[in-house]
Amino acid sequence: MECPVTSPVWSAVVLHPADDVAVALRPLEPGPISLRSGDAKTFEVRAAIPLGHKFALRDIPVGADVRKYGEVIGIATTAIARGTHVHVQNLRSRRAKAR
Amino acid sequence: MAYQTSFLGYRRPKGPAATRNHLLVLSIVGLTAPAARRIARSLPGSRLVAAAYGRGQLGGDAITYRRQLVGLGRNSNCGAVLVIGADRKTADAVATAISETGKPVEVVTMDDVHEDALALSDAGVRHGARLMHMLSRQRREAVPVGDLVVGIECGHSDATSGLVANPLAGAVADRLVDAGASAIVGETIEWLGAEHVLARRAAPGVAQAIVDAVMRREAAAAATGMDLLGNNPGQENIRGGLSTIEEKSLGAIAKAGSRTIQSLLALAEPPTKPGLHVMDGPGFSPESLTGFAAAGAQLMMFTTGPGNSFCNALAPTLKISGHPETASRLPEQIDFDGSAVLAGIESLDQAADRLFGLLLDVASGSATWGEVLDETDEVLVRLGPSF
Repeated sequence: MECPVTSPVWSAVVLHPADDVAVALRPLEPGPISLRSGDAKTFEVRAAIPLGHKFALRDIPVGADVRKYGEVIGIATTAIARGTHVHVQNLRSRRAKAR
Repeated sequence: MAYQTSFLGYRRPKGPAATRNHLLVLSIVGLTAPAARRIARSLPGSRLVAAAYGRGQLGGDAITYRRQLVGLGRNSNCGAVLVIGADRKTADAVATAISETGKPVEVVTMDDVHEDALALSDAGVRHGARLMHMLSRQRREAVPVGDLVVGIECGHSDATSGLVANPLAGAVADRLVDAGASAIVGETIEWLGAEHVLARRAAPGVAQAIVDAVMRREAAAAATGMDLLGNNPGQENIRGGLSTIEEKSLGAIAKAGSRTIQSLLALAEPPTKPGLHVMDGPGFSPESLTGFAAAGAQLMMFTTGPGNSFCNALAPTLKISGHPETASRLPEQIDFDGSAVLAGIESLDQAADRLFGLLLDVASGSATWGEVLDETDEVLVRLGPSF
């Protein structure tokens, strides 16, 4: 469940409202974290996420576009569960594939 | 929020005001570089650009090289220019192109002194001294922020660059454009995978030119057997969390902010109207910065992850990092510490307001670390081999 938190410090950031992923601002362990997406909210992370890496904000079906910075950064190569790591194991470039 | 609309700059007879008031000692051919170095050493506070080449160049290489030399001379941060050359005809042509800006230009050549480098040095020091004496009498006054042309560069990126430093530079680029100023982003190859995003934001007629510029670089790399998409993002990028070329390039172009792209500039080509521009130029930052300076940039924003000491010689270069350890590890290099954004204790907008304030403070005369330490140079691009 997402709800406002009072702490001014957040652990992950959503860079654009249209994004499917958030970026960890510190190494994250599974569990609740504070997420900055406009206001700060709590969010349940379900995998260890290294600093600078991404996790899914919602369930992403296989073949779906994945957005960051409000833009498509690639296609999901497997179904990606909310709160889990999004990286080269489940995300593929469209540009590189299109050649 | 109401932003500052003026800074303290040097007005020029024509064109935008300046953030600095350099005498530029400009040697336009490698033959006169040693004498130019001697002249500049005798004129403390002058800026030296001593071209390594300048003869025996053909076609696009010759044209681009000359455009860079003339552009550096025309940069408003040079209040006066001493042109040093081998032959009169070439040196006069460069001087004439520079003096269209209304600034004082003097010329000394080997022709005038019968190939005597010491006599050339003597004449150069005397002319240069008179120009510097004159420049010292000019004063800063309030000028519009809209006069600024700001180059935006990144060098030594890491995972924090696309998250903090580049979006920060982009947010400041938006503030500059909204104030009527110009911002220039280069490094064509960093648009690869995100060129459609830049194209979508471009003014009519500019979109296709942006896509074509990326295709040309990709094809040029392919002609040498290099596949730009083959191992890109690289292993280091992937360890840092970047999964695809689109993601990497979107992080890089975040420093372009969100405003409409007015034109695609050639290397060292000045913008003809205010707003955001992209320059089709090299990814090597010393060359890219010289391209911006030759296009008229009087300030640079330079984002970095782990640090990067190189600054432009004519335009004060602000080093910006969002990495929590970089600013504390490099206190005499990093001008702006954006790590509070990464720590989650300052919003990007708050940090961008602080950075915009610092930028105008530097425009008004406060020194960057790179200026204090003179960690600066100009590196001119060559497009082909000597004839």
